[in-house]
Amino acid sequence: MVVFPVAYEAPHAGVRTRALHRSFGPVGAVQGMDLDAYPGQVTALVGPNGAGKTTLLLILATLLTPDAGWVRVAGFDPATAPGEVRSRMGWAPDVLGFYDALTVTEYLDVMAAAHRIPPAQRRQAVPAALDAARLIEQAGARVHTLSRGQKQRLSLARALIHGPSVLLLDEPAAGLDPRSRIELHDLLRRLAAEGRTVLVSSHALDDLEELADDVVFVDRGRTVASHRVDQLPAHLGPRAYRVRTLDAEALTRALDERGVSAITAGPSAVDVQVFGGEQNAARLLSELVGAGVPVTAFGPVGGSLEAAYLQLTDDQAVRR
Amino acid sequence: MNGIATVAALEFRLRLRTGRWRWLLASWLIVLTVIAMLIRLSVRPTVGEEVVGYTGSFMFGGLMLVVLGLALLIAPALAAQSVNGDRERGTLAPLQITGLTSWDLAVGKLLASWGTAVVFLLVTAPLALWCLLEGGLSVGRVLIVYAVMALLIGVVCAVSLGLSAWMARTTTSSVLAYLAVFTLTAGTGVLFGILLAVTSDTVTEGTGEQSYTYNQSRPDRIWWILAPNPFIVLADAAPETPTTTIRLPDGTIIQARQDADLLGALSQAARQLRQPPSVFDVAEPAPEPGPVWPYGLGLQLVLAAGALLLTERRLRTPAGALPTGQRVA
Repeated sequence: MVVFPVAYEAPHAGVRTRALHRSFGPVGAVQGMDLDAYPGQVTALVGPNGAGKTTLLLILATLLTPDAGWVRVAGFDPATAPGEVRSRMGWAPDVLGFYDALTVTEYLDVMAAAHRIPPAQRRQAVPAALDAARLIEQAGARVHTLSRGQKQRLSLARALIHGPSVLLLDEPAAGLDPRSRIELHDLLRRLAAEGRTVLVSSHALDDLEELADDVVFVDRGRTVASHRVDQLPAHLGPRAYRVRTLDAEALTRALDERGVSAITAGPSAVDVQVFGGEQNAARLLSELVGAGVPVTAFGPVGGSLEAAYLQLTDDQAVRR
Repeated sequence: MNGIATVAALEFRLRLRTGRWRWLLASWLIVLTVIAMLIRLSVRPTVGEEVVGYTGSFMFGGLMLVVLGLALLIAPALAAQSVNGDRERGTLAPLQITGLTSWDLAVGKLLASWGTAVVFLLVTAPLALWCLLEGGLSVGRVLIVYAVMALLIGVVCAVSLGLSAWMARTTTSSVLAYLAVFTLTAGTGVLFGILLAVTSDTVTEGTGEQSYTYNQSRPDRIWWILAPNPFIVLADAAPETPTTTIRLPDGTIIQARQDADLLGALSQAARQLRQPPSVFDVAEPAPEPGPVWPYGLGLQLVLAAGALLLTERRLRTPAGALPTGQRVA
């Protein structure tokens, strides 16, 4: 594994925004976003389409100026010190655009040259980025022959080519097969473990739960909530669990004895509503097993991120 | 400087990889060779006269006007999708967040498209050599005509590039680039023709019943409309042809300036437009009208500089207000 040098300066040289605003004509794409993405952590930026995720990332990536608000990337203001930010930040956009006529190696070499990396160092930086993105086998292939998943990895390699300390990834898992997703997660976790700030936008919620340390929910240009993933409200509040069993009668009896209401969800499964967070779910499971119910599966219905997300967007819908 | 080279080298490599350049350049040279041969065959001095050293300059003049005409068609295609095409494909923004400046991108892209166009010009060098061998043509005239042509093509590249940075859609910028070329060439001619009628004087000569009235056109008021026409700039910027030796039917030999080649004729016609109407006076002939090309080329260069500035502005990031329909990435 290749470890990139990380420029680590201030205690919090990640990504910080406060009351960030940006409009396109009459359309307010970002209308007050507060965000903290810390070094060494993967932060998920979650929200529906049109919530302003991409616009926020464009501001962070020094491509758009904010209309108002305060923003720091790797300790610098992208609007006034774009050069400082660019040398410390890598961005993988939602659009996978490359020069199709070039090979993977040639493309990364051009990008490294654009970052003003001298030729001698490029000979190391390009293979390092290829290795990190698991593209060694495709090194000599023309870009247009790559699969979508490989292009996503090339986009990541491009973002990594100059060893940035902050990574901004816009929907990096879009169009990836499950195996590629797992590999992507491994890679992002590794990059975070090296001390980098990794900010990932997505609406693939279940995926992010295993990946992210922090999650920031955005909707219609605003930050709605931010949480540590292990402290999501869904972990604490009421939540549906699906129980599978070999003996449906025994399960129904056991649930009835404990006064737990259940909805049938298929021939050998029921959904139960558990209040009071994961502690109570664990207790219910041990009681069921203790009562001799042959439980084969016990787990929350939908991810906790999904639950929190639906809850939040529900709140918004009510307020609307 | 380094950044400009990076961008230009990248663009040049992409062009080389994607197009069928060998075929394109070969057919370009073949077409022009055929045209050169036809012009060569059309050289027929007046019966009885023998013009020594005239064929080369005649061939060259005709050929260069054809080359310019075709190059003006090629240049917009090389640059008119340079910026917005990259935007559409999503390849521009990743470059903008590197160490490259907006000037690196603008100038690098201009040099790449201009360089490609110059390759087309250089391919015609054997034909120019042929003209030189035919005689009546100086190396200086050839070099200057090529240099001016390269400048004119560069202007079209710069304007096309500016349009590609200005317009969100590639089709719009392409159409506008061709319209710009059309305006400079045919447009100036049409406008001149119309305004010539509008600006003509009504002159009344004589008195009483003997008087008569007629319209006198005043091209000296509007000659500058034709000045930016690339064909006129090229023709007028070419240095004068050397004097040639002409043997008249009675056997006498005279030295005379031969401006009968197309470039020379066009140049003379353009300069004559600057001449105000005057009564012919043998004792005091009107002064020779001055050249037209400095005005035309000057205007073209100003246009190109403006287009390059516009390109740089549109490539600047972080971007403030965006034109409607344009995405940063």
